[in-house]
This record gives sequence, C-alpha cells and structure tokens, in this order.
Amino acid sequence: MTHLGLLRAVAANSFQFSRTDAGFIAEAFEAVVSFILNLPWIALEFLQVNAKPLTQVILLPGLAFVLVFAIIAVWFERKFLARAMLRVGPYYCGKRSGLLQVFADFLKLFMKEIIVPKDMDFMFFAAMPVLVSTLPAMAMILIPFDSNWVLWDIGSLSLPMFFAIAGLAPLLPIFAGWAANNKYSYIGAFRVAYMYISAEIPLVICAAAVAIMAGSFDLLKIVEAQQGMWFAVPQFLGFAIFFLGVIIESERTPFDIPVAEVELVFGWRTEYSGILFGFTMMAEYVLFQAWTLMFITLYLGGFNGPVLLGMTTASHIFWLLAKFAALVVLIILIRCVFPRLRLDQMLNLGWRTLTPLAVLNLVFVLALKVLGVY
Amino acid sequence: MTEPIIKPDVMRISWGPQHPMSGQTRILLDVDGEKVHKIIADLGFTHRGIEKILENRSFFQGIIPIERMVMADTTNIGMGYVSAIEKALNIEVPERAKWIRSLMCEMSRINSHLYAFGLQAEATGYFPAVFLWTTVDRTILLDLFEELTGARWSYNFILPGGVHKDFPEGFQAKLIKGVEYLRRRFEDYWEAMVENAVFEARCNGLAVLKPEDAIRLGATGPVLRGSGIPMDTRKDDPYAAYPDLDFDVITEPACDVMARTKVRYREIGESLKIMEQVANEIPEGPISTKTSFFVRSKPAEVMSRVETARGELGIHMYTEAAPNPYRVKINSPTLRNMYVFERLAELDEILMADIPVVINSIDPWYLDSDR
Amino acid sequence: MSLLKKILKPFLVVAPYVLRNGQTVAYPTERPMFSERFRGRHRLRLDACISCGMCARVCPCNSIQLVEVPGMEKKFPQIDYQTCSFCGYCVNNCPKSSLVFTDLVEFATTDRKTLVYSPQRLMEVPDIKDVVPMLKYRTEKYLTDTEKKFRRVKEV
Repeated sequence: MTHLGLLRAVAANSFQFSRTDAGFIAEAFEAVVSFILNLPWIALEFLQVNAKPLTQVILLPGLAFVLVFAIIAVWFERKFLARAMLRVGPYYCGKRSGLLQVFADFLKLFMKEIIVPKDMDFMFFAAMPVLVSTLPAMAMILIPFDSNWVLWDIGSLSLPMFFAIAGLAPLLPIFAGWAANNKYSYIGAFRVAYMYISAEIPLVICAAAVAIMAGSFDLLKIVEAQQGMWFAVPQFLGFAIFFLGVIIESERTPFDIPVAEVELVFGWRTEYSGILFGFTMMAEYVLFQAWTLMFITLYLGGFNGPVLLGMTTASHIFWLLAKFAALVVLIILIRCVFPRLRLDQMLNLGWRTLTPLAVLNLVFVLALKVLGVY
Repeated sequence: MTEPIIKPDVMRISWGPQHPMSGQTRILLDVDGEKVHKIIADLGFTHRGIEKILENRSFFQGIIPIERMVMADTTNIGMGYVSAIEKALNIEVPERAKWIRSLMCEMSRINSHLYAFGLQAEATGYFPAVFLWTTVDRTILLDLFEELTGARWSYNFILPGGVHKDFPEGFQAKLIKGVEYLRRRFEDYWEAMVENAVFEARCNGLAVLKPEDAIRLGATGPVLRGSGIPMDTRKDDPYAAYPDLDFDVITEPACDVMARTKVRYREIGESLKIMEQVANEIPEGPISTKTSFFVRSKPAEVMSRVETARGELGIHMYTEAAPNPYRVKINSPTLRNMYVFERLAELDEILMADIPVVINSIDPWYLDSDR
Repeated sequence: MSLLKKILKPFLVVAPYVLRNGQTVAYPTERPMFSERFRGRHRLRLDACISCGMCARVCPCNSIQLVEVPGMEKKFPQIDYQTCSFCGYCVNNCPKSSLVFTDLVEFATTDRKTLVYSPQRLMEVPDIKDVVPMLKYRTEKYLTDTEKKFRRVKEV
C-alpha cells in the first residue's frame, strides 16, 4: 500500500492530472513509465552529486578495503606463520603460492551445514557474528585518510565516537557465548567480559592524554597537530600501553584468552559452524584493522609523511597504508614469539600495571601542557 | 563419574575426548569459576588388550604389539620386553649389540622428549614456533633410524640375542653430524622458549609437587626427578651398555612445571652426549647370538625394568614350557603419573587455564596407561 | 633489565626463521628417496620361492596365506595389507630371499578387497610414474649448518 502512496506522491509532484478513480491507474502507470524512461539521467545525477562518498563507502575505507584486507591478511598470516614454523603454508591453490586458498576456504564454509543444537537461542546466536564483523567497520569510517577524505566527518567529536562504537564490540561475544547454551562458550563469554573491562580503561585514559596534547577531540586536528613530531615521542608510555591495548582488543595472542583453543575448545566461538564460523574468523581481522588504524592516527602521525610526486591525497593515503602494513607485520610476528597469558595474569597486567602507567602518562602530558612546551 | 556433586557452585566439565588438546582420554574437572576442586581421570579409552595379545604370540612375534604401546618412544619399551625374554631364556648378548641398543634407546628418548617439549609449548599457546620446530628436529632422528633399521618409528630391530643388523657404511659420521646439528638447535629452544618472559610467567611456581609427596604418591620419571630425587633405572639397575657409559642423572630443586620442563631439556643434552660416546667408542664384535625364531622356554618367572622417557617401565613375565609366554604384566609409567596428577588438585591450587600446561608437564601417553 | 631481555631475546631468535626455506617435500611433484633398508611394499620372486610356508608361520599379524596360482603347481604367499605391520620377519626368515622389500608406499584405494595382494600382483613392481602421475623429481635430504634441505636428485 505504501508503494502506491509513493507513486501517487510522485505523480502529484510531477504531473497535474485530475484525480478521478478511473484515471488514477492511468496516472500511476504514466508515473512509473516516466521514472523508468528517465532512469539513466536520474542515476547519473545521483552519482555526480555523491561521487566522493560513494568511492569512500565502496573502496576506501569502506567495503573493499575491509574485505581485501581480510583476505590478504589471512593469506599473509598463514604464510608468515608457516615460515616461522619452517613450513610452506598454502601451496597448491593458485599456482604454488596459495593465493586462492582463502577463497577456497570461504566457499567451503558456505557449503557446510549450520548445526543448531536444541535449547539454543538461534536468532541471537546467528546475529552475533554478522554484527561483530561489521561493527568495527562502522567505527573505521571515522578515521581520516587525508585532510578531506573522512567518510563520516562529524568534526569535533570523532574520538569519543570511535570509542563509543568500538566499545560496543565486547558485548557481542558475551551475547554469543550466552546464547549458545554450552559450558565452553559460557566460560569464554565470561573471560571476554573480564578481559575487556580491564583493558578499555587504560586505552581511554591514553586517548584522553592525546586529545589534551592536541587540543581537540577531532581526529583530523589530532593528525594535523603531529606534523612536527609524532605523539609517540613525548608520550612513549602511552604509546606502549596503547600498543598492548590494540593486541588485547583484537583478541590476538598473547592475549587471546577468550578463544584459548587448548583449554576451551574455541571459547565463545565453539558452537559456530559453516558461514557463521567464517564470520567470526573475519571479525578478528576487522577489529584488528580498526584499532590499528586508530593507533596510527593517535600516535604515529596518521597520514603525515613526505609528499611523493606532488600528489598530496594519494601520498597521504600511501603513508597511512604503509604504516598500517608495518604494524600488521609486527603484530603477526608477536604472535609467533609469545605464548598465551593466563586470565588472572592479564587482569593483573591491566589493573596493576597499565592503569597506573596510563594515569602517569596523563599527568606528564598535563605537566607539558601547563609548562607551555606544547 | 557418577558421584553426586555436593557443592552448589561447582560445575563439572568434561575435558573430554572431543577436545583439541585432551588426547585420547577424558578428564572430569570440578570447577568453581576458575579454580579446580577435583580432578577425576577417566582412563581406558584406548585399551587394546596388549597383555592378552602377548600370550598368543611367540617371543619374537610379541615384540611387534608391545612396540606399539608408545609410538614416540618405541625402543625403550621393546628393550624392556626383550630384557625379560633374555632373562627367562638365559641368552647372553654380545658387547657390540649392547652398545647399539643403548644408542637406539637414547635416540628414542630424545625423540620422546622433543615431542613432550613441543606439546608443552602448544599447551601454553606457543603453537606457531616451537611445536613444529620439534617436529622438524625429530625428522633428523627419524632419518637416522631409517638408515639404520629401515623403518621410522616401529623398528623391530632389538631382538632376543642382540640386534638385527650392523651399522651401514658411513653411519658413525652421520651420527656425529646429526648430534652437532641437534646441539645447535638445542640452544635456540632455550632462548626462544624456556627463557621467554611469558612462558616463565605461565610455568613458574605452578603445580608444586614436594619430594615427600612425590615419593608417597609413586611418581616416576621426569616428574620425580623434577622434584629433586635422583632416581634413574639406568644408574640404579643398569642394563645394556649403561655401566660403561658416562652420563649424569638430571634433577632440579624447584618442584614445579618449569623444573620438569628443564629436566627434560637437560636430559636431551645428556642423551646427545651418550650418542657421541657410542659413535666414537663402540667396540667391534658380533652383533647377536643366534636364537631360533621358535625358541621354547622353560618355566621361569622374571622381572625386568627399564627407563623409558616417561618413567620406569616394569615387565613381569611368567613362562612355562611353551613357545609363548604364559602371562606378561606391564607396569606403565603413565598410569602411575596420572595418579599423581589427580592428587595435584588437592596439593596445590590449579586454575582451569593451567590444566593443559600441568598435564603436559606430566607427559602422559594414554596408550601407555591403557595398554 | 632481565625481564626486558627475556621479552626481546625471543624476537631475535624467532624472527630469522621467517627468512628460511620451508622444510617440506612438495609431494606429489617431489618424492623423497628412501634408504636401502626401507620397508615398503613386498616383492615376490616366483621362480625362487619354494613354498616352505615360513613367511606365513612367522608373521605376527597372520597376514600371509599360501594360495594357488593358476598355471603353477605350488602354492605362493598372498599378503593382506590390511593387517600387515611391515615388521620384516617374513623377509628375514625366507630361506631363499624371494620376498624382499621395495620402497612403494602408495596403497590408497577405494575398494578394500584390492588391499589383499595376490602373488601375481606382488611379483610386479610398477614404475613410480604410474603410481604417482604428477611426479617430477626425486629429492634427497642433507644437513647444512642451519637446516635440513632437500636437493633434487633425479628427474622422472
């Protein structure tokens, strides 16, 4: 019924016909036909007006960036880990380099059956992996890739907005673990709760210190304030704490306690099978991406870097992606080197070491600001 | 298993056969939050009736089933059985055969300790690097075994009367090269894993087993030596060429998981020393006394014990005038160590996250305990 | 300071491994060469076998039976590879050395009955290219200072 009402409104705005019942159907038909005939021009006008936001949504930092990074990161991590283990990694798919292995695994996961045990809250359970893969992508739209390449430009509140959106991410594994009705998932969900409570607080304090030093909550202004010197240098404590925080938030070794395979089959991901499992695996990489980009923006100067070949926008994007790639390699290397911490050791680290150091960092930044150095 | 749970906060988790890390067993944990109140080990999933099988096979044929008791460490178990047969049949073994037997036992011990080391790494979450390095290093040893015996893990080489064949050409040089290679890799393990800050945080001070408790509960092998008690069958009751070889019994004073890991690590070093001694100093001579395949025994009752990688294995054999033994009783080290493991929850506080680490420090092989 | 050393030293030890070659044999395009004493599939020489039945008597797994072969009057051993444990007693105790080992290890099949090898099948040793059609190289292992490597020895 509403479609008919829309057509009627279109007809009322574009054509002046008399509104009799008999002629109404002819009116509606005319409206639809004229819309379809003018469609190319309407579409062209839409694209011209929204060219840049569309590119941002589809290519960078939107859909294509997230998906392409997830694919490349999975392949790279498997190959890198394999070399550290003196193996070769994916070899046969894709002409002895294994590039198509990710696609093959994805297709295989699509074709598997999604097993639903009894007494499980299925709607909740099935919604969680999709949400936990897309929520960090939503947080990523706030990161500036260039002075005028921000997808969601809300100006002066982008830093707290990022934490508001990305801070919802820990809730989803807890829901998933509870909805699955399985002892291992339940324990995994509670571990997630403990871990994130202790990890978010030092992160937020460090981000507040950065905002104080830059003088504003706007991510763009924070990046521009680092044109002289990156914030990593005066705030070395905050740099170290936020780096650890990135690894904790993306649930990677040495902090992948909720997903400790040797103890709790797979933590909150235990009962997932088929494509839902694929989503939970992708979620790790999307979270990783969002928090690493935030880390680069806050401490490593964002997109600042020498201009190459006279193209500012492209070189800014290039520098941001280069820093991002270097950090990804470093974090994957950390996975090769360290075993996993236990939950109480991680909580001790978060509460007894990271939080006081974060407060110390904040006091140091305040001192620098008051003394007029910055 | 069917005991009622009395405390209301306690959840019984089956760390069970369908688990990525449990092995072929089920361990029931009574867990309150993270703290483990009680451990019940439910063994018996892989019982194959090896003792009954041995009654229906002749002496030579019986070596095949008993070697398949522990796949990582086959020589030592075969050695126990063959020692028992030789005692029952009064067979003398020539010197060169004894030295070759010691060599194979030590190589098998390194094999098993490397595997245990790798499993310990995997249990703490260090899966990427160390576990697969140990697999690669074990292939060096497996290649040496393949040159000598023809098979990679089920050698069937130590037979009553001696060993089957002599060294192939150039084997001693290959042994020395393998030993040097393993020594270099050995240091990498120490620096990458044992001296790792996170590994130490996981393993130090965990699951302490005091010496008097270790003796009272009947621990054996590296579990006992990690609590500071120097008991080793190779020194207490020597067999094969061990009286002529020069090695130490490794103990560690701290009685925790880290101490047992260090004991296994240093025992690999001692075994490499023994391999070098054998490669350089092995005497010439015959390699076996001829024993008929269908030898019949007289009535006898013998006991033999050997030091496998997991502990002390005892074989109690009762023979009559027949080509088959009448009854063979195998006393496996893993069964005794699993008893110690069950009591660890009462002796020391263990969290649920530590269960894989503690189990792999006991180094169980469930086919060994179930036979 | 010792804590810092324990955090940084593993990096320096593990990171160079990433630059090394993988130590895997790329089967089925490469296949390792086994040693001379390797115990693979058996091979029977019908002209040397005297049908004494020693192999069937010493087999601990009862895998060998003597069956009739059309066209010859003696009985010859048939080996059931579903239960064979490759222990080597049959080869050791054969008085005429008519049963020996080869280095074939490819037994995989879709029909379980074909795992019982009749004497005629035991007589023939197929070419390795027929068994593994994708094979290109045979490799040999050797130890360098830092790792175990495989060198390509033979093109097939």
